[in-house]
Amino acid sequence: MAKSLGPVKRKFEPWNDPTAQPFIRFENITKKYGDFIAVSNLSLDIYEREFFSLLGPSGCGKTTLMRMLAGFEEPTEGRILLQGNDISGVPPYRRPTNMMFQSYALFPHMTVEKNIAFGLEQDKLSKGEIEGRVQEMLKLVKLEEFAKRKPGQLSGGQRQRVALARSLAKRPKVLLLDEPLGALDRKLREETQFELMDIQHTLGLTFLIVTHDQEEAMTVSDRIAVMDKGVIVQVDTPAEIYEAPNSRYVADFIGDINIMEGTVVAPSGDVSPQPVVTLDCDGLIVAVEQDCAAKHGDRVAFAIRPEKVRISPDQPADTSVNAAYGEVWDIGYLGDFSVFLVSLSDGRIVRAAQANVSRLVDRPITFGDMVWLSWPRDAGLVLTR
Amino acid sequence: MAEISTTSHSGPARWLVVAVPYLWLLLFFAAPFLIILKISLSDTAIAMPPYTPVFDSFGTLGNFVSQLDLENYFFLAEDALYIQSYLSSLRMAFISTFLLLVIGYPMALAMARAPSRWRPTLVMLVILPFWTSFLIRVYAWIGILKPEGLLTVFLQTIGLMGPDEQVQVYRTDIAVFIGIVYSYLPFMVLPLYSALEKMDGTLLEAANDLGCPPLKAFWKITFPLSMPGVIAGSLICFIPIAGEFVIPDLLGGPDTLMIGKTLWTEFFGNRDWPLASAVAVLLLLVLVVPIMIFQKQQQKVG
Amino acid sequence: MKNKLLHLPAFAVSALLAATAATAQERVVHVYNWSDYIDESVLEDFTKETGIKVVYDVFDSNEIVETKLLAGGSGYDVVVPTGPFLARQIQAGVFQKLDKSKLPNLSNMWPQITERLAKYDPGNEYAVNYMWGTTGIGYNVDKVKAALGDVPVDSWDVLFKPENAEKLASCGINILDASDETFAIGMNYVGKDPDSKETADLEAGAEVYMNIRPHVKSFNSSAYIDELANGDTCISMGWSGDVLQAKARAEEAGNGVNVEYVIPKEGTYMWFDNLAIPADAKNVDEAHEFINYLMKPEVIAKASNYVQYANGNLASQEFLDKEVLENPAVYPPQETVSKLFTISPYGPREQRVLNRLWTQIKTGT
Repeated sequence: MAKSLGPVKRKFEPWNDPTAQPFIRFENITKKYGDFIAVSNLSLDIYEREFFSLLGPSGCGKTTLMRMLAGFEEPTEGRILLQGNDISGVPPYRRPTNMMFQSYALFPHMTVEKNIAFGLEQDKLSKGEIEGRVQEMLKLVKLEEFAKRKPGQLSGGQRQRVALARSLAKRPKVLLLDEPLGALDRKLREETQFELMDIQHTLGLTFLIVTHDQEEAMTVSDRIAVMDKGVIVQVDTPAEIYEAPNSRYVADFIGDINIMEGTVVAPSGDVSPQPVVTLDCDGLIVAVEQDCAAKHGDRVAFAIRPEKVRISPDQPADTSVNAAYGEVWDIGYLGDFSVFLVSLSDGRIVRAAQANVSRLVDRPITFGDMVWLSWPRDAGLVLTR
Repeated sequence: MAEISTTSHSGPARWLVVAVPYLWLLLFFAAPFLIILKISLSDTAIAMPPYTPVFDSFGTLGNFVSQLDLENYFFLAEDALYIQSYLSSLRMAFISTFLLLVIGYPMALAMARAPSRWRPTLVMLVILPFWTSFLIRVYAWIGILKPEGLLTVFLQTIGLMGPDEQVQVYRTDIAVFIGIVYSYLPFMVLPLYSALEKMDGTLLEAANDLGCPPLKAFWKITFPLSMPGVIAGSLICFIPIAGEFVIPDLLGGPDTLMIGKTLWTEFFGNRDWPLASAVAVLLLLVLVVPIMIFQKQQQKVG
Repeated sequence: MKNKLLHLPAFAVSALLAATAATAQERVVHVYNWSDYIDESVLEDFTKETGIKVVYDVFDSNEIVETKLLAGGSGYDVVVPTGPFLARQIQAGVFQKLDKSKLPNLSNMWPQITERLAKYDPGNEYAVNYMWGTTGIGYNVDKVKAALGDVPVDSWDVLFKPENAEKLASCGINILDASDETFAIGMNYVGKDPDSKETADLEAGAEVYMNIRPHVKSFNSSAYIDELANGDTCISMGWSGDVLQAKARAEEAGNGVNVEYVIPKEGTYMWFDNLAIPADAKNVDEAHEFINYLMKPEVIAKASNYVQYANGNLASQEFLDKEVLENPAVYPPQETVSKLFTISPYGPREQRVLNRLWTQIKTGT
């Protein structure tokens, strides 16, 4: 592929290396609670040193999956392999995984120090070793002066750090993080996200994070698995998930997107040299540069991110395809961006975002203005699922 | 202005709220205690009431005070019976409280870990025995434990006991322990349950996750966190058990020595009010003073 | 039925008393008597005849009665204390003098008994005798024979000799929980004056019980009736009428338990239970009417026939059942009576010594 989807974070893609052995392998995992199927025949490979996210709305089975890895739940069917070994039936206290709980689950009757030392004490390490590791962890999370406090005397952010230090103290092969930043305010959350990445990188551990916050998942992860109703809908890098969602569900779940239902009028492969699919979205003709299996007459969806829609009072050169005309119905000013809601003649709303690149604008677009929307052929996406 | 008017309004009201418990203590604890203390410093007499001096009016206050003496307390100290009664009561109370903890804790734990929709029913079941009279329940134990009682019949029926053998438990200390543990169990289970129920279950998962097996996690996490319940339950049981009279009287043998029984004998059997009062005052000191010191210490720690 | 349950809910009865007192004009008398000590139809007859309602409460120890009376405000109009307790309570000012003009049936009383009662109530001003009896041995004939063989049951030796007590231990020995009587009997048994208040003598009396203490199953004064009747207890120091009631209950139950009563040949304690009116009684007239009613020959005879105790009413004897009047256990012959003794009340200091010894015996310390 000549082009790349989004910025390249680091050269790390063992999932594309056919010789790489997965570190964790979920093999046809099903988990039932009575009649309720929480996880359904799910398979997934996670690689060493990967920062992996399970993303989905509550009840999608992501937490169940993580708890099965930690050993709190046993799969109804299937098996979990860790470095090639089946870990079914191994109790949580013998698994080389550690978990950071959503509620932090700090022991309220122990000091910060004691909390961090707890796991080390179970391993019967010498006093000096424990002492050293605790100091190291306190330093890592910048809580040295709080060593003697009890969790009740700490702020939310400090508690989160203690929880992180405690779960890292044992140097687990896999660190599981269950909604780790959910309780923090936005600024603290963003800071912590980068710290997490830093720590993961420094310690060279494998992180598995469960979250419903797509921004968080995008920021920290090497790969993301988007889950829905017990199955994985898509596993990919954040850029692929964002730029090339494989379904309406993923597209809709990640970020802001315009989705229009349409019919294939010219399947890809008909036009060369680039495969282009042409759709009729209720009168709006859309051409997308994409190799797509959809056949003539199939019902599909056209999806395009608002920031890829160009908005202008001026009519584009070609209005027959990838262009629409409408009235500005609402404007959202976000500081870095402005989002325009444009109402087409048939009432459909299309969102277009524009970066506010200069502080002063010559001809500002405002409510009630009639505007043209247009996009190139490689901006949008045809979704068959 | 508004602020001033509200404070002046709530001032006396707040004072009243604070005063209620103190008034209660004064009326139902301090006053009776002072009466008992006074009687304990008197002498027995053949009269109504059977002691002198009786405090009649303020005019005779000086006279009254000069007549008080500590003779009854010396008598208590001299006679081994009373010291033995105190020690034996404390021993009974310690053992009973320990048994209650050992039996009550698993019950409370099971209740706290039960599905939440069952819990109200389980709490109800623990409280259910209170719907019948305490006395009748203790009498029922006589029916069960006596030599020809239900327990003997049951053990004979299932063949664990020959037809000529009988359970020799009634009128022994074992019967007293059974009666006490049975009667006080709800008082132990409920505080434990409320402490355990509040506990966050993920703490145990966290301990497990950090390499701590379940049994060890119980001692490292669950038990220390349930300490308030353990202390509350133990105090609620220990104090009244140490002064228990009815259960040892009904289920115990004549050699079951407990201070409550000794006190009862002094008061009813011997009609020795002053001595009985001295026993009561000492019982209070023996029980309350250590507990108050303990409470103070706890407050400092907390 | 009689058992210890009865003395505990006495407060409930008092509450009931208060409630009934509140219902105004109804005439009522509150009676506090020993348990199993009356034919209940006597009470019904009294109410029928006089319209006075009887609120009846029972006790099983003199000590309880005294505790309540000395505390004051007991709420009772008629109580039935035993001799030495009566004497002390009179001294404490618990009772009011009887208005003899309201007691015409006094003429029915037995002068010999009235005279003996005067030891406790000088001048017979405060009390009239209700019943009297002896403290002897109640025993299960077959079980005692099985345990002791041919040892004759006619002496305190049966109970007080440790070798006998040891053999009887497994079938159940009960001692009355009545310290004054038990000490009198114990002192008499070792040849001391049963009425002695000397510490050394009391200790000698206590020795008798300490020697057999390991073999004693229980100390009670009411539950032993049923226990004798159903065979749980095979020998007990007991009050004559109680033991005879146990015998009757066993016969009624047809359980093959054969209970007998014996007055040991060494002699024993003779006691008097007497009717008296507390000084703070609220229904004094009704109390007099009740006492007067109980002095009717046919009425007290009915009670005696039922409870199997002798009464202090000479005129009643023609109405007594033959089995009662001629039973030497109830009305002992003259040569036995001469060996019976009575005791005077204990002073507070002596009482403390007695109580301490008694507690020591009971707790076995």
